[in-house]
Amino acid sequence: MRKVVVLFVALISFAAFTSPDAKEILDKVDRNMSSKNRIFESSMIIHGRRATRTINSISYSVGNKKSFTEYLSPAREQGTKMLKLEDKLWIYSPSTDRIIQISGHMLRQSVMGSDLSYEDMLDDRKLTEVYTSTLAGKEKLGDRDVFVLDLVAKVDDVAYFAQKIWVDAERFVPLKQELFAKSGQLLKRTEFSDVKQVQGRWFPMTIVYKDMLKEGSGTEFRITSIKFDQEIPEYLFSKASLKK
Amino acid sequence: MMLALKLAFKNLLGAGLRTWLNVSVLSFAFVLIIFFNGMIDGWNRQGRKDTIAWETGKGQFWHPEYDRYDPYTIQASNGLMSDEILKETESKRLVPILVVQATAFPQGRSLAVILKGIDPMLTVLELPVSVLSSDNGIDYAVIGKRMAEAAKLKVGDKLLIRWRDKNGTFDAREIQIAEVFKCDVPGADNGQIYLSLQTLQEMMELKNHATYLVAGEEFEDRELENWVFRDLDFLLEDFNKIISAKKAGGSIMQIFMLLIALIAIFDTQVLSIFRRQKEIGTYIALGMTRMQVVGIFTVEGGAHSILATILGAMYGIPLFLFLNKVGISFGVGQGMDITLAETIYPYYSIRLIISTILLVVVSATIVSYLPSRKISKMKPTDALKGKLQ
Amino acid sequence: MIRFIFKGVIRDKSRSLIPVIIVSAGVFLTVFLSSYFAGVFGDMIDLSARFTTGHVKVVTRAYAENEDQMPLDLALLEVGSLKTQLNAAYPDMEWVERIHFGGLLDVPDENGETRAQGPAIGTAIDLLSPGSTEIARMSIQESIAKGSIPSKPGEALISEGFAQKFAVSVGDEITIFGSTMNGSMMFKTFIISGTLNFGNAFLDRGAVFIDLRDAQLALDMEDASSEILGYFNDGVYNDAKALQVTESFNSSYNVPEDEFSPQMMRLVDQNELGQYLSLAEHMSSIFILVFVMAMSIVLWNTGLLGGLRRYSEYGIRLALGEEKKHIFYTTLLEAAIIGVIGSVFGTVLGLAGAYYLQTYGLNLSGMMDNVGMMMPAVLRSKITPELFYIGFFPGVIATVFGNALAGYAIYKRKTSRLFKELEV
Repeated sequence: MRKVVVLFVALISFAAFTSPDAKEILDKVDRNMSSKNRIFESSMIIHGRRATRTINSISYSVGNKKSFTEYLSPAREQGTKMLKLEDKLWIYSPSTDRIIQISGHMLRQSVMGSDLSYEDMLDDRKLTEVYTSTLAGKEKLGDRDVFVLDLVAKVDDVAYFAQKIWVDAERFVPLKQELFAKSGQLLKRTEFSDVKQVQGRWFPMTIVYKDMLKEGSGTEFRITSIKFDQEIPEYLFSKASLKK
Repeated sequence: MMLALKLAFKNLLGAGLRTWLNVSVLSFAFVLIIFFNGMIDGWNRQGRKDTIAWETGKGQFWHPEYDRYDPYTIQASNGLMSDEILKETESKRLVPILVVQATAFPQGRSLAVILKGIDPMLTVLELPVSVLSSDNGIDYAVIGKRMAEAAKLKVGDKLLIRWRDKNGTFDAREIQIAEVFKCDVPGADNGQIYLSLQTLQEMMELKNHATYLVAGEEFEDRELENWVFRDLDFLLEDFNKIISAKKAGGSIMQIFMLLIALIAIFDTQVLSIFRRQKEIGTYIALGMTRMQVVGIFTVEGGAHSILATILGAMYGIPLFLFLNKVGISFGVGQGMDITLAETIYPYYSIRLIISTILLVVVSATIVSYLPSRKISKMKPTDALKGKLQ
Repeated sequence: MIRFIFKGVIRDKSRSLIPVIIVSAGVFLTVFLSSYFAGVFGDMIDLSARFTTGHVKVVTRAYAENEDQMPLDLALLEVGSLKTQLNAAYPDMEWVERIHFGGLLDVPDENGETRAQGPAIGTAIDLLSPGSTEIARMSIQESIAKGSIPSKPGEALISEGFAQKFAVSVGDEITIFGSTMNGSMMFKTFIISGTLNFGNAFLDRGAVFIDLRDAQLALDMEDASSEILGYFNDGVYNDAKALQVTESFNSSYNVPEDEFSPQMMRLVDQNELGQYLSLAEHMSSIFILVFVMAMSIVLWNTGLLGGLRRYSEYGIRLALGEEKKHIFYTTLLEAAIIGVIGSVFGTVLGLAGAYYLQTYGLNLSGMMDNVGMMMPAVLRSKITPELFYIGFFPGVIATVFGNALAGYAIYKRKTSRLFKELEV
């Protein structure tokens, strides 16, 4: 296993030497995907062992640091709100009128039985801040030409040591992302599809997360509407707004 | 007093069958009390011994943040071992153990596990981990029987584990089960996977770190800076509670057992005083005080217990020696989270035996005394005539 | 003849009262202690039955495989109708639902925000229905450290350890945060009605007990539960019966293709309790045997003494010309009557005592420091079918035998000695 890692790293450095434009690709992806702020409505489809559930929510986010999500349906979740500020996360429940801070160990728990943990939602740094990227090659993914990027962590405090990203060569939208452990073990896979143009950007409207170590068919995230660069009042990102 | 004793034995032995019936009942009680307590003591001693041998050592030094029952503290509860400690660990007087929370994925299921990094060359604990020292590129692991059953694993099986290093970075690796050990101590087994300390330190990027240190017999007792000493009372708290619960439960049983024997003696006493009024009258006529006569009868009743002790010893000692040799098999007590050896060898301490003898003698004497008090109210003249009073 | 002797026995208190009392006492002790032995040796089994395994347990197969993770999503569904069917099919058993869940205990500050948190191990049992047997079964009343058992929905019991660690007390609010059966977020605020001592270091960290209904509502488990535990009505595990129940249940309910179909397990199938159980039964039967022997000897002794007391009477009767054989015969009949009366009394009393101890237990916690509900601090006896005869027959036989031995002396009587005794 360790040998694989060494080889993997060696390949990456080799690739880095020959393809200097990996960072450029990521920057383009970044420009495409991120915005000053955005508001989107989405459905999360969670496949449990017994049943499949769909949870609808509306999210407001500014950069990567602040976000506010309100769950709309089903009735059970309606009115539950989640606030993220930097590396802190609070959840408000209307039924108990309580604000609970999710911290420490709880962050590693799955969100509503999905393949995503609270922590996955908190990771807000840009890929280029965390990873050294290299272009590993160009290939076809379905009928799209893609760049394959290999990313290796350059900071210590990162959940996934390495990533592999398939970026649409024309639209600069990620189409597939694989997350690896230090040993090279594949841990999670994310697939992006249903790429649409919104306000002049290309954006994947369907994202499927899959924890590769667990059985099951993963969690599907569908964006039903998305708007960029809107007026979002600042007070929304405060604990006081959770109770409103 | 000597006279009273002599007289007592003569009278008792003279009474023949009846005395032996009483004595045998009392001796049953006597033997059972010793047996039951011996069993509990044997369990206690073995349990303590096994726990010390497999899990606790003679004590442990914990990282101040460590709490064995709170998995959430584990991530933050390890510290760098000082040079002083490292020297102790090299000479195997202290065994450092690094504890890491991880997830194992046996057959597609996920299972929360505790990884324990341990020195494969350790001598302080009996864990058979020497196999972990083999260096052929495979990460070997040792697990206990309970863990093996819970995760459905056997020797040679490979298991994927995922953990996060000190920075929180995910890592995953396949380990291979090199040995499944069997021990009576659930705390050394349940939910745990043993890896070589060095491997786990590498995996975590925590060189020379440990979560707790197990002290061996040869460790010289002293305080270690930045580590909290946990003594056996602390480490064995739950086990001690079970033993004391068992003892309390047993004591009620012993009281009943003794009670039945005492009823027999009481009954005999009442009758013998009733039947031997003439004798009592004669004693008083001969110049004995009433209290002296009461004394004779009390001693006579109490002497049952001495005979019972002798009789009990006659069949009890061989029985106990036999049980001590073959032990009492409890099968696997593994389903319960209690340290319980498969075979318990009862332990009979001198203290237990002496205190049981005292208990039997004193209580038999007391019940013999109670009916004898009647004597002091007797009119000697009537007694001499043998008139019912 | 029997009536004559019976009247004699009844009217002559010295002939009847003391022997009957002693026989009763002996039989009582035998019966009571036998039940007690069975309880003492079986207490680990009993504890496990009460808290985790039941006498039998119904869960889904998927749940059984992952039980240590308390997977609510694999819980039993339609438990209402399942319970009805169980009750109908096995009327001599009681069926109770329980829910086990994990989560977070969150203590709010004055603004309703998190002040402190700790991991929670939740158990939901029927605390509120009138006549719920679960409170006694889990010795909850005895384990209360402060406060009381919940008396209305929305109340919870938490471990005393947690209460101390996070400085919360009876009357305070606490929120349980976790996930529902469907994986939704679960928030539910409870008022602490009391705190519990578990006597188990792990549970003393963050155990919480709530009412089953509350849990079903909060966890989205309407008509669902983690498990259904079955208990024999007499409170005693009976392996033959359990096997029969389990087999008949599984043959009609367990569908091999459906991992969510209910399956029933016996106590001995779980946690490797089987071997311990057979050992416990062995040990208790050895103790009972020894005890019955000891008791027989005492009763025999009593019978013997009873006979000896009446030497003078025999003397008179012989002098009056009654036949030795007849005297011996009446003595035995008398002994039999006394033995039967005493044994009936003793058995009834013993059973009553055993029943009391089986139902309410004997709280020994005063004899131990700092114990809790996970410790068998409350001793319970166990009523087994043997109890109905285990004291009775030795009681009667030993009494008759003792009297026979004493009466045998009649045959050795010499008339010359009779008159000496008549001097009285």
